[in-house]
Amino acid sequence: MTGRVIVITSGKGGVGKTTTSANIGTALAKEGYKVVLIDTDLGLRNLDLLLGLENRIVYTIVDVIEERCKLRQALVKDKKNPNLQLLAAAQTRDKSAVNADQLREICEKLKEENDFVLVDCPAGIEQGFQNAVAGASEAIVVTTPEMSAIRDADRIVGLLGPKEEIESCKLIINRVRPSLIKSNEMMSVEDVLGILEIPLVGVIPEDTGIITSTNKGEPIVNDEEALAGKAYRNVAQRILGEEVPFLDLDEPKGFVAKIKNAFAKWKAKV
Amino acid sequence: MEKGFVENGFIIDLSNTKNTTQLVFELSTIMEHPDVKGKRICLKLGGLDLKQSQLLSIKALIESMDAEIAFIDTTSEQTDASAVSLGIIVSKLDANTVVPSYKAENTEIKEETVEIKEESEEVSTETQNSEEKVIEIHADSELNNETNPINTVLDIEDTYSEETTQELSEIIPSEHFDNDFESLAMNEGLISKEEISKYILLDTGEVLPEGAEENTIDTKTLPTLYLSQTLRSGQTVNYEGNIFIVGDAHPGSEIVADGDITVWGILGGIAHAGAKGNITSKVRALKLNAIQLRIAGLYARRNDTLNVPYVQKTNEFTPEEAQIEEGKIVIYKKLRRD
Repeated sequence: MTGRVIVITSGKGGVGKTTTSANIGTALAKEGYKVVLIDTDLGLRNLDLLLGLENRIVYTIVDVIEERCKLRQALVKDKKNPNLQLLAAAQTRDKSAVNADQLREICEKLKEENDFVLVDCPAGIEQGFQNAVAGASEAIVVTTPEMSAIRDADRIVGLLGPKEEIESCKLIINRVRPSLIKSNEMMSVEDVLGILEIPLVGVIPEDTGIITSTNKGEPIVNDEEALAGKAYRNVAQRILGEEVPFLDLDEPKGFVAKIKNAFAKWKAKV
Repeated sequence: MEKGFVENGFIIDLSNTKNTTQLVFELSTIMEHPDVKGKRICLKLGGLDLKQSQLLSIKALIESMDAEIAFIDTTSEQTDASAVSLGIIVSKLDANTVVPSYKAENTEIKEETVEIKEESEEVSTETQNSEEKVIEIHADSELNNETNPINTVLDIEDTYSEETTQELSEIIPSEHFDNDFESLAMNEGLISKEEISKYILLDTGEVLPEGAEENTIDTKTLPTLYLSQTLRSGQTVNYEGNIFIVGDAHPGSEIVADGDITVWGILGGIAHAGAKGNITSKVRALKLNAIQLRIAGLYARRNDTLNVPYVQKTNEFTPEEAQIEEGKIVIYKKLRRD
């Protein structure tokens, strides 16, 4: 078995890389695929918290690299789904404890036994980013509809372009607020795509449920009701190669809403 | 006639003072005396009515001189109530208590003592056993017999009949009483033994570092690292002995000791006591909330049901102590005395 190694990156911090990794990983595992999530954010690890696995971590990726344990020992199984495993980052070390070759080697080993290896990349474009990207053959760039995030995502796409091993580079637009887009206060999905010009793999609406799910250590894809959860499940489907229409994020259209919308557009023109 | 005994104690008689201002003045004068440092003070307050806040300031004044209140003696109901609410022990020294004269051999101290007497006419204790720095209080029979039952375990720890005390204080070091205290407190129901599933053992296999073997070295013989700081996420403390931290250990921090780990604060990170295989090592904290508890080769994770996203700041503490018993990690909880 040769799995796919996908790096989830963004350049800018706080746009939702880790949330995206946790949710796509969980969604793919729910579909029955064997998934390993690698947290490469050494010293600032969060992925274990989002999955609620912090209390189970005994060995980290640094222990594997420094040969204090076997790779198999360091993989932490998810509470609910044994298909999902986590390779945690070391909290007490920094990015220099790992180099690109070591990470590439770990990815090679993991993809032999798993369908998907998702690498959660740290913010920035320094060594942590270079390490995370090293073993990957695909990339998912996460951005939000804000100029700063888009500028950084653009930088990342530019850095990924020359890398031969990265075969595809796709985009997730996170924290989209349809109401703001409608009133022309937020950039629309089309605007973002127009700037970045890479294929879209998901649009995730802003959802307050993310906050509670993060604090509980329970990815939002496990919540059947939540819109963000549904959006992440759709992303997983698209990664698996299925054609899934993008969610209609528009709120129900009433007469008043239409008027408001028209008014907003008119205002923007003036 | 039995004789009462308070180890390293000191009676300060303030029962003649007429108001709080005078009391505080007298007390501060006495407290300036170098001999008072480190002593356990028995305060005679007479009939003066003290509010909780006033008693608290008196307590703070005494503690600022590195001394502590062993108990107070008062005839006022209000002071009594204030003391109870502050957790200060109220005990009765009989009115007829014979106040012994000060018989120190060191003349210098004697002079100073006399000076105090002149200033405030009421200090007064004690036959000093100068070699052991143990001061006896000769109280009459009322102090320790049935009419004045010993209310608390703390009293028991400090008060013995003279006969045994003299022997004990010579032969047995003070740690001896720790164990007694534990068993006494257990009988009194002050400590409950818990084997609840607050922590669940992890199936980690062999985790001791290479060359390390299980051992039972007395952790009291190990050196101790004393730290006064907050440990934050990502910070590690590693020491070949015991570690004592005054402060919190936040989640994401790691404390690794060859001996015991004591956190005078909230322990939220990983604590590994006896990391080189010492199975007698213990982990204690004012609030034991570690994400993982490790003692020697046993690793336990916090139960998922106790999901605490972050250290919860609180004024309610139940000190806990974890140790290995029969291949399991057992947590002892000290309950509040209500």
